[in-house]
Amino acid sequence: MTGEPRSRVPALLVVLGALLLVGAVAGALTARDSTTSPAAPTAMSQPSALQQTIQRTQDALRRNPGNAPLWAQLGASYVEQARISGDPSYYGQAEGALDRSLAVEPDGNGEALIGLAQLANARHDFAAARDLGERARELRPYTGAVYGVLADAYTQLGDTAAASAAIESMLGVDPGLAAFTRASYDLELHGRADEARQAMQRALSSALTPADVAYCRYYLGELAWNAGDVDGAAEHYAAGLVAAPHDVALAQGQARIAWAQGRVDDAITAYADLTTRVPLPQYLLEYGELLESAGRADEARAQYDVLAAAQQLYASSGSTDDQVAALVAADHGDPAEALRLAQGEWDRRQSMFSADALAWALHVNGRDAEALPFAELASATGWRNATHAYHRGMILAGLDRREDAIAALDEALAINPNFHPLHAPDAVATRTRLESGA
Amino acid sequence: MSQSPHRRRAATAMIVAGTTLAATALALVPGGAATASSHREAPLIADAPAYDNTDVYAFVSPENPDKVTFVANWFGLQEPNGGPTFYPWADDAYYNIKIDSDGDAVADTTYRYEFTTDNAAQQNTFLYANGPVESLDDENLLFKQYYTLTKIDAYGVETVVAEGQAAPSNTGPASVPDYDALIEDATEPVGKDGETFVGQIEDPFFLDLRVFDLLYGGDLSEVGQDTLAGYNVNTTVLEVPIDEVALNGDGAANPVIGVWSTTDRAANVTFGGGVEESSGDYVQVSRLGNPLVNEVVIPVGLKDAFNAISPDVDATIPAVVERVTDPEVPKLVEAIYGIPAPATPRNDLVEIFLTGIAIDAPTLDGTAAPIAADLNSQILNADADPKTFMPSEMLRLNTAIKEPTTLAGEPTEASRLGVFGDDIQGFPNGRRLADDVVDIGLLALQGAALDPAVVTGPLSGGDEVDANDKGFDTEFPYVVAASNLNVNDEANSQGDGTVAQGRTNAPATDPASSGGGMFDFLGDLLPGVMTGAAGVVLIGAGAGRHLREK
Repeated sequence: MTGEPRSRVPALLVVLGALLLVGAVAGALTARDSTTSPAAPTAMSQPSALQQTIQRTQDALRRNPGNAPLWAQLGASYVEQARISGDPSYYGQAEGALDRSLAVEPDGNGEALIGLAQLANARHDFAAARDLGERARELRPYTGAVYGVLADAYTQLGDTAAASAAIESMLGVDPGLAAFTRASYDLELHGRADEARQAMQRALSSALTPADVAYCRYYLGELAWNAGDVDGAAEHYAAGLVAAPHDVALAQGQARIAWAQGRVDDAITAYADLTTRVPLPQYLLEYGELLESAGRADEARAQYDVLAAAQQLYASSGSTDDQVAALVAADHGDPAEALRLAQGEWDRRQSMFSADALAWALHVNGRDAEALPFAELASATGWRNATHAYHRGMILAGLDRREDAIAALDEALAINPNFHPLHAPDAVATRTRLESGA
Repeated sequence: MSQSPHRRRAATAMIVAGTTLAATALALVPGGAATASSHREAPLIADAPAYDNTDVYAFVSPENPDKVTFVANWFGLQEPNGGPTFYPWADDAYYNIKIDSDGDAVADTTYRYEFTTDNAAQQNTFLYANGPVESLDDENLLFKQYYTLTKIDAYGVETVVAEGQAAPSNTGPASVPDYDALIEDATEPVGKDGETFVGQIEDPFFLDLRVFDLLYGGDLSEVGQDTLAGYNVNTTVLEVPIDEVALNGDGAANPVIGVWSTTDRAANVTFGGGVEESSGDYVQVSRLGNPLVNEVVIPVGLKDAFNAISPDVDATIPAVVERVTDPEVPKLVEAIYGIPAPATPRNDLVEIFLTGIAIDAPTLDGTAAPIAADLNSQILNADADPKTFMPSEMLRLNTAIKEPTTLAGEPTEASRLGVFGDDIQGFPNGRRLADDVVDIGLLALQGAALDPAVVTGPLSGGDEVDANDKGFDTEFPYVVAASNLNVNDEANSQGDGTVAQGRTNAPATDPASSGGGMFDFLGDLLPGVMTGAAGVVLIGAGAGRHLREK
């Protein structure tokens, strides 16, 4: 680290941390009262089903602190709560509860292993999740969640055959929402978008809680959006918001709809609101890129800096996402850092996601010949992903393979002409340049 | 590590944007499906209570001694909060009642309920009803559920109810002024001589969950409520002639049947290998025979497995068998109360849970069956083939015992303690609505089948909850209409709330009560038509014998 007054970043993180990590005494039952409404005017009047479960589990554990399965259930519920709220401070509480479960029952404690695998996935430690999940599979071959954590881990590790097999097993023991949503994603990654839609509809039909309805609606919207169907996506986001009016992901979906429909100011306002509500790295990045595409470079830069802080906050909760960080660095002026992160991520897991990130990082470092095989790996399963196709097209353009580059850029724009506020126009411009032979 | 250019600027930017971030941190709104990353995080904990079996009852019909009644319940702990919450049946499931009449642990007869939801009238509202619902076809009822009932046996698949309608959830006195009228309306004929009712009822199961806190260090329901008083449950009540489910259609020669219920869920998504199928695959996700087995007998690590397997696999799983032959509860009781645990292997429990009680019941270790009575094993059926008999967990009922009867074969008062109260018409011979299965189960685990002293011993009080807070009815469907009182409202927490008017509750008698515990109970009410004539009680060589005393 160089001699900037960097103490101020950590200081700010301490402030942020204090706010986000309220009461994150690992595993303590004195966790913040989950029924406390957030200090927002849009506060929910009722605790969610999951919050009620957490509350009841805590109450039961006060009576029976020696109940290992209950500790494991509490831990798993905290991981789920982190997923739904976007608040990484729950990870620490999850870890504490799961460790406690293992301390009470070190042998044959499948529930704790499943919870720890779930936590490892959430923190992007997919190899650990796979190992924990495989141990849990030995102990609990009839438990659906075992195959859920294995499917998630194998998908991210790039072992798509093992992921598909895990989902097949999951459908065979517990054909419910958790299995249908994973089947949908797996189908999507294999380019089977229609079946992915059907599976997500099936998940929606078994969704009970507003959070689950919102999840299914969001990804039905994403399936439409990623296929260029703006109106279809808008319908799903709107339908989801009827069930879960405060859902942030659905608000993000609607913000992109506003942008695609040319209502750029509305989109910016919506992003300002949702990044205020939940400062997830993904949203901060999209907000910055939206501002940049609207010619508001200074405001964009401010968001990228906030993004850097948010990433550190996640890292401090034990959750690293170098793959996203690599793409951020590649797109926003730090090629060397991009390559370092992407290479590290590729060394850890050889998935279509990390292949794409490494291809792009090599490209921004001017190493297109090395980048191309990774770009091709990224589409090996048949996933129709506009961003991956755009990356491949730009790499091919850098290699002067005009025809192939045009085909790849056409593919990106055919999949979804609105795939990115900066990259989609760039794809159009590059295509035009290549056509004209410049 | 060198700092990236924009990370270096972060400190400055934070002064500007930090306020934003700081403000956001407190305002995390629950209920989102936020993705924190490139990695898609799908739900892992998705509750599906609609598919969960809670209890099965099987008893000779109190109204007609030639018929048998099955009550199977699903989707427990329904809170009647008077609000918009309701508890539908799932459309993508088979709700099954299974009967094994020859003892090979394979269902010979399956009654299968399949539901179809019509909520077209609900288009622009989440309301269940938009006015008082006085009949099942009331247009104020916006969410209607229909079912077919099929009977599956060696003769094939027969539709015995082509279109029945489930009575809706009792969403409160404003929406459902008279639930009993709906029960009447929702009672359908089954074939020539049977009938069925499908709807929501007050959960007939009663216990004090604290007994599990104490003994088990666990939480039976994972809910932390101390009682089921006032909670509702979805039920199917089915009454058919005994001959319809008995081996060879002959209930006189083959009076013993085994009963359990299961839920199968559709796994119908197209997945895997590009093959255009997977639809039509149904997966067993829940299973229930004897009460409390999944709470007390099956270890936590086997619960999912137990729910997935069929009974013919039970005896091949050592971990299941060991929990029967060497159960945990007596050891806990010994540790807590100093009462010595009975000697193992517990072949008395093998009879109670896995084979039924019979002098010639096959034990797992080849020794003689310890309980000297012929009560409720399919092996007692005249046409049963002992060679195909397979130990398995199910509720076993001797339908020849038509009324409360002593071991000596005399008519008696019904006892909430069933067989251990010298009333062999009750649990573990089948299960009547008022049988106090928690106490019976504890007594059984403590060895009461071999040592009558256990019944009057220090644990005789059991969980101190001796009866359901509502009396059961003497007429079909016997169960009690769904409660519409908010369980968690202090005013209703005494468990003596009124439900529907106009029910003929049997008079309260409680011969074996040992005190009311924390609730003021109405007492023990047993469906029983006293004819004064002792029926043919025990079959075969065990007739008239008492339980062996040690």
